[in-house]
Amino acid sequence: MCEIQNLRTEFKANPGQNENDRFFEIDVKGLSFSYRNDGGHSGRTLYGIDFHAHKGECVGIIGANGVGKSTFLKILVGLLDGFDGKINIGGLELNKKNLSDIRRMTGYVFQDSENQLFMSTVYEDVAFAPQNYGYSPQQTEERVNMALSQMGIEDLRDRHTFMLSGGQKKLAAIASIISMTPEIILMDEPTIALDPRNRKNLIRVINSFSQLRIIASHDLDMIQDTCTRVVLMNNGRFVREGSADEILNNRQLLEENGLELPLGSRLRQSRNEGNNGE
Amino acid sequence: MHMADALVSPAVAGTMYAVSAAAAGYSIYKVRRESDSSKIPVMGVMGAFVFAAQMINFTIPGTGSSGHLCGGMLLSALLGPYAGFLSMIGVLLIQCLMFADGGLLALGCNVWNMAFYGCFIGSMLIWKNIMRKGASRKKITAASITGCIVTLQLGAFSVTLETLASGITSLSFISFVSVMQPIHLAIGLVEGIITACVLCFVYEARPDILWGVGGDTVSARGRLTFKKTLVVLSVSALVIAGVVSLFASSHPDGLEWSIERLTGSTEIEAEGGVYDTAEKLQDTTAVLPDYSFKNSDSPAGTSVSGVAGGVAVIAVCVAACYVFRFFRHSGQSGLKGEKK
Amino acid sequence: MKSKRRFKSASGQMRQIELLAEKDSWLNRIHPLCKFLVTMLYIVLVVSVHRYDLNGLLGMCVYPIVLFMLGEISVTEGLYRLRIVLPLVCFIGIFNPFFDREVIFYIEGFSFTGRIAVTSGVISMFTLMLKGILTVLAAYLLVATTTIDKICSALRMLHVPKILVTVVLLIYRYASLLSSEVRKMSQAYSLRAPGHKGVNPKVWGSFAGLLLIRSIDRAQIVYESMLLRGFQGEFNDMKNQKINKKDYLFFGGWCAILVAIRILM
Repeated sequence: MCEIQNLRTEFKANPGQNENDRFFEIDVKGLSFSYRNDGGHSGRTLYGIDFHAHKGECVGIIGANGVGKSTFLKILVGLLDGFDGKINIGGLELNKKNLSDIRRMTGYVFQDSENQLFMSTVYEDVAFAPQNYGYSPQQTEERVNMALSQMGIEDLRDRHTFMLSGGQKKLAAIASIISMTPEIILMDEPTIALDPRNRKNLIRVINSFSQLRIIASHDLDMIQDTCTRVVLMNNGRFVREGSADEILNNRQLLEENGLELPLGSRLRQSRNEGNNGE
Repeated sequence: MHMADALVSPAVAGTMYAVSAAAAGYSIYKVRRESDSSKIPVMGVMGAFVFAAQMINFTIPGTGSSGHLCGGMLLSALLGPYAGFLSMIGVLLIQCLMFADGGLLALGCNVWNMAFYGCFIGSMLIWKNIMRKGASRKKITAASITGCIVTLQLGAFSVTLETLASGITSLSFISFVSVMQPIHLAIGLVEGIITACVLCFVYEARPDILWGVGGDTVSARGRLTFKKTLVVLSVSALVIAGVVSLFASSHPDGLEWSIERLTGSTEIEAEGGVYDTAEKLQDTTAVLPDYSFKNSDSPAGTSVSGVAGGVAVIAVCVAACYVFRFFRHSGQSGLKGEKK
Repeated sequence: MKSKRRFKSASGQMRQIELLAEKDSWLNRIHPLCKFLVTMLYIVLVVSVHRYDLNGLLGMCVYPIVLFMLGEISVTEGLYRLRIVLPLVCFIGIFNPFFDREVIFYIEGFSFTGRIAVTSGVISMFTLMLKGILTVLAAYLLVATTTIDKICSALRMLHVPKILVTVVLLIYRYASLLSSEVRKMSQAYSLRAPGHKGVNPKVWGSFAGLLLIRSIDRAQIVYESMLLRGFQGEFNDMKNQKINKKDYLFFGGWCAILVAIRILM
């Protein structure tokens, strides 16, 4: 624990600004959470989590299945309530009063795009958020066009959502978030069930965003390609926080927490070993 | 149990549309008053579930016919009668559009026969009363099976009445009913067992999902006691009996019958089934001209010449279409040629 | 496994219809409201034809013939649709000749057989079957040229309550998904239970129940994803196509023609 504490102070100290200044886009202090009387989850799901994220950065939350990554993301957008601790998003405290404002600046990409694309055509789905936020038809149109072109799926505009391929669905789901111009994008396992080409395309798309991105995943290769900072979770706790390079190359740490080195790191390490051998 | 468009007359279809629309309007009012917006996606997804489950047909041995899982009971056990009714309407509408069963006109009948009984009678009278003091496997099984059998019997009976009132068949009321009811008794039993299995599973895995258990719902004061149930049941039995005798004694064709009533041209015939003796049939054919906008004295003559006329019209129409298509295509290819 | 094949055909059928409806032909471009109203009018007119009035029904054939030919829609596909409805209609119609044996006229025209006695039952059987065919074809014409969301927007224009239309759209959205889920489940089942005919009644509860619970969980997530995009209990109306001259012409023309045929023939 002491080690983590040190790491964190380092990170805070690094940019050298004070917290009050809406500096942190996301600021979580002492977050604990437990599911109420739900069969599968016994006891606490999250324990005393502290987390900070700055504007524009891309943070990866990694960990094995069921360690609480999705729970953490869901709490941030107020889908699960009854948590202990303080959460501050974009200068607003997460509570009932601020919830709609917080949701308005936060886009959440669900793990299964099927659940996100509930309208019958791509256009309607991407237009869903702008319409709900009271934009005029013309503004809605502009936003939909913007979102579709940013994702490079203008040609899918009038397609039926159930006719899309897995990769197209993911892009459409992200477009439906982009159309509400969020300042924070949360993604839950975005690369799951994507083929290499769609995965690569998605990584390109994620890197093209300038918003604060928080990605929960156990696809460490993707995390390595997109995130600058990584938080490792296990059993509802943040085990380690640090730069992507540092954590994703620490074989022992990853394996202790039910993960393994990403392919890129493994290649590099084996190359290094080879060099050493010579 | 699906009614086809061809089996209903406009008058019957219109009446059933009106009745179903009234029930739907009341349900919408109720769902809105609860103002629980989280119910909408649940209604949609549960409707889709019923849609998927309804594709399984239970073949009834010997008859070669098959019945659907009628979902109304299941939906209302999970969503309550109002939301359940609305999602059943959605299911039926999608079915008639996607599979083009052609049930657009008969939709009102189908909603009534399948959704109304299942959702309102099944859940309000049967499910809720049995579950009043908490649920158990036995109670769920009993409620599902009685609910399905009763609602399917009512539905099948309505199908019979609607078909007969539409005047498209010469089957007598007795013979039609004696075919429909036993078949649907079997279907109802199978369906009840399946519904019971599913609901018991839900009860064990996620008891919180079940609706109306332990009388903990919003409308607790509207709950029906056994006495009230008896009263409601007997009143509805009386109403149904009244309607039956009305239709059974009236003219076969609902629309024609109502036209006659309006113009007062014929007396309403006494009991004796829809189809009766040859004399009555001649009465029927005699009033044909009034009905079919035709000014001819003998139906025989017009039929022959008319059929020839109809065939001629069709032939002309097909020919005209061919000509039109020929010119359009040649026009298009001509344009393409010019472009080149 | 029978049920498996049904699921396959169900989602396949939906996809097929959807593809047809997305085609860009003149008939597809006609305003959905006009098509819907004409279809309803047509069905009402067909159904209102008296059961002995075969002649009146023949006149009504004009509508599907013209649309199938000019819309260039596959007739075989439309006739394929009849397989569900026609048996039922025939089952009811087939009794008419037995019970309704009054000879109403003789066809004299045939020199080789002398005269044929036509009973009212035979005529009513034929009209019933023809009605079945025509109504299904008309509905098929509507569905094959109009996507569900367009039909729903037409329903909205007819002031069908929003909540109902929303539920219809959601059911449509998730029906294909759940059907394919059921298909996968029954495939997985049949792989581990070779030789079983359908799903054993013993596991019916858990088989359908699991799907049900999964569906409920999915509904919860769908609701969450709606909330996160500003959903406040009401869906917004879909964008409406404008009704232009062609649509008025289609609507007015068909109404006039159909009513004229119905009265004159």
